[in-house]
Amino acid sequence: MKRRTFLKFGSASAAAALTGTAGLIMWQPRAHAATINKEIWITEGTIAQPDGVNVYFRGFSGSSNNLDVPGQVLMMAAGDTYNLTIHNTLNTSHNLVINELGVNRSVPARSTRSVSISASNPGTYVYYDSTGGMNNRLVGLHGAMVVFPNGANTTVENGRDMPKHDFVWVFHDIDPAWNDAIRRGNNPPNRYVPRYFTINGLSGRPPGSPGNGDPTVDAMHDKRTALHGHLGDRTMVRCINTGRAKHAVHCHANHMEWISTNGQQRDDVWLKDIIPLDANNGTMEFIFPFEPVPDAWPPMTNSTLAQATAEGRKTAYPMHLHDEMTQTAGGGLYMFGAMTDIFFEAN
Amino acid sequence: MGRRRKSSTTNTTDTTTSSMGDGGGGGGMMGNACYVYPMNNTPALDNNPDVVFQRSVDMNIPVTMDDGNVVNMWGFADGGGGGGGMDGMGGGATFPSAAMRVTEGDVVHTQLNVGMMMWHTIHHHGIEPEYRSDGVGHLSFDVNGNYTYQWRPAHAGTYFYHCHTNTVLHAEMGMYGALIVDPPEGAGTLFSGGPTYDVEAFWVVDEIDSSWHNLDWAAGTCGGDVGLNELNPDYFVITGVDGSGNSAMNTPPISATVQRGQKLLARYICAGYHPQRMRFGGLTGTIYASDGRPLPNPKQVTEINAVSAERYDIIFEPTQRGTYLIETDIIDWITGDVLGTTRTSITVV
Repeated sequence: MKRRTFLKFGSASAAAALTGTAGLIMWQPRAHAATINKEIWITEGTIAQPDGVNVYFRGFSGSSNNLDVPGQVLMMAAGDTYNLTIHNTLNTSHNLVINELGVNRSVPARSTRSVSISASNPGTYVYYDSTGGMNNRLVGLHGAMVVFPNGANTTVENGRDMPKHDFVWVFHDIDPAWNDAIRRGNNPPNRYVPRYFTINGLSGRPPGSPGNGDPTVDAMHDKRTALHGHLGDRTMVRCINTGRAKHAVHCHANHMEWISTNGQQRDDVWLKDIIPLDANNGTMEFIFPFEPVPDAWPPMTNSTLAQATAEGRKTAYPMHLHDEMTQTAGGGLYMFGAMTDIFFEAN
Repeated sequence: MGRRRKSSTTNTTDTTTSSMGDGGGGGGMMGNACYVYPMNNTPALDNNPDVVFQRSVDMNIPVTMDDGNVVNMWGFADGGGGGGGMDGMGGGATFPSAAMRVTEGDVVHTQLNVGMMMWHTIHHHGIEPEYRSDGVGHLSFDVNGNYTYQWRPAHAGTYFYHCHTNTVLHAEMGMYGALIVDPPEGAGTLFSGGPTYDVEAFWVVDEIDSSWHNLDWAAGTCGGDVGLNELNPDYFVITGVDGSGNSAMNTPPISATVQRGQKLLARYICAGYHPQRMRFGGLTGTIYASDGRPLPNPKQVTEINAVSAERYDIIFEPTQRGTYLIETDIIDWITGDVLGTTRTSITVV
């Protein structure tokens, strides 16, 4: 029997697991199309949840020694060629699918396969394993692919100027009984009851809790997840939902400019403090404008932000899902769910 | 009085109970609660606010459902002194809590009084104030004692306010109320430059899982499985009334009666956690605003899909006499199954 790679990640060792997962992404427009070569590994292991429970996952990982849930953000420009090599370290067959880009590459157990990806339309896409229906996606084999405009184009979707920052938020919900059944090769339970809710594989760790301030577990302090900006730093946020629950994405502080849902650009850009995010690979994009909060009295200015900093105060607001069951872990622990913070910083 | 105008006596002396807070401290065990944050760094207040609301906490609001069962709700009593008490059992609140109504540009104070044995906040949802007036404990503080939130609404529209402490439980228990910002033109105009209306209806649609309603206010905050990941509703309400039967059919301002030629504004708040789908019974409405912001182009619809905490302002201009059934399905967030339906009506005479 071949050796079975089984990785275990707790709070202390999760840093390696999380390196390179979704979050803040950097992109420089360039004049010419490129060929990008990338390798990923299908791995498995357990990840400790906020209540200490170890839950089984599989991931599209950055190395054979990692367990990345979600997988790394794959980035390309329209017109590029993206050559992806997938190493399956497991004893089960898997695949990598991107529905909108016509990608469907199967990878037998203990095998390596390659696929060449091209895209003509900029946007945010989900890559995932469709083997066994939703089973492998739910157990962690998922991630985001971002396609930027081609050439030296400095606009993003619907012709808006390239934002100051660009983030990916991968929302997921986890039923550990479902994951455990898949680990054992059994059929999952009839009822799906998620007990953990994550953003970019992380969860809230409020002040005073174990892990607070540790960006490897704390979504509030992971700079690839938490938004940081000065006034006027327009920030693109690309949301995907690889779980089964439909969500209500809620930002405090500024209304969001809602620009797309499920790959469809909106005819009108609505200003919203809540935007729906569909389940089962739903996508949604918005701009967080980092405008002075409109209803403050006295008004917010760069000076008031600087004063707060001088006094040792952080001017921060939350982003959380308003379907509030998502703010829990293990049936309780409010604030240990799918949330992060938004920091307004002085110039 | 729960609401005052042009008060000159509100140089509030808020209770400061600890040097912790500002989101950076606290978080330890406070009685039977964890991860609540004592007040600190309270901001200076305007001495001459235009409007003052006073709210205290009431955790004993019996609501009788159509099947005769009584479900206990929690809420904010209108008035700062009488309702809260030491244990939140003082009374005086309704479900939903009393609405707040202000005018764009008002300097508003919301004074919250919380009994000594617990912690709560008020978050004015959709209002975007200075962070210490946002009512989010881990980034500023939770309230135990007295605290005044200061805000000045810049955009007319439909909002709501709710508790943001152990929110998953407290909002489900009913700790919310409508918040309406009128434009300078006053009630009767949705927003400056926007449509006028003659009649107003309030559709605040929510679901209740009565199995949650025996939990302590701090349930689950220190860990342990108290079931807050799973909301299995058994009652479906519209603006505080059991909506599964006929109780909300002739109950203004939930139901509405309009004359042909009049314009009805329906302020729809999705107050539950599961998604909703509202049908207009054959009427066509025009959405002019959502979440307190005008749409770039008003949109005509015969039904609306909404998720938790979305608001839609819909204007109807019916031309045919009749009674139109407004039905809202509450849809399971995972399976998509219809869990229940609320009903009210628009009567056109």
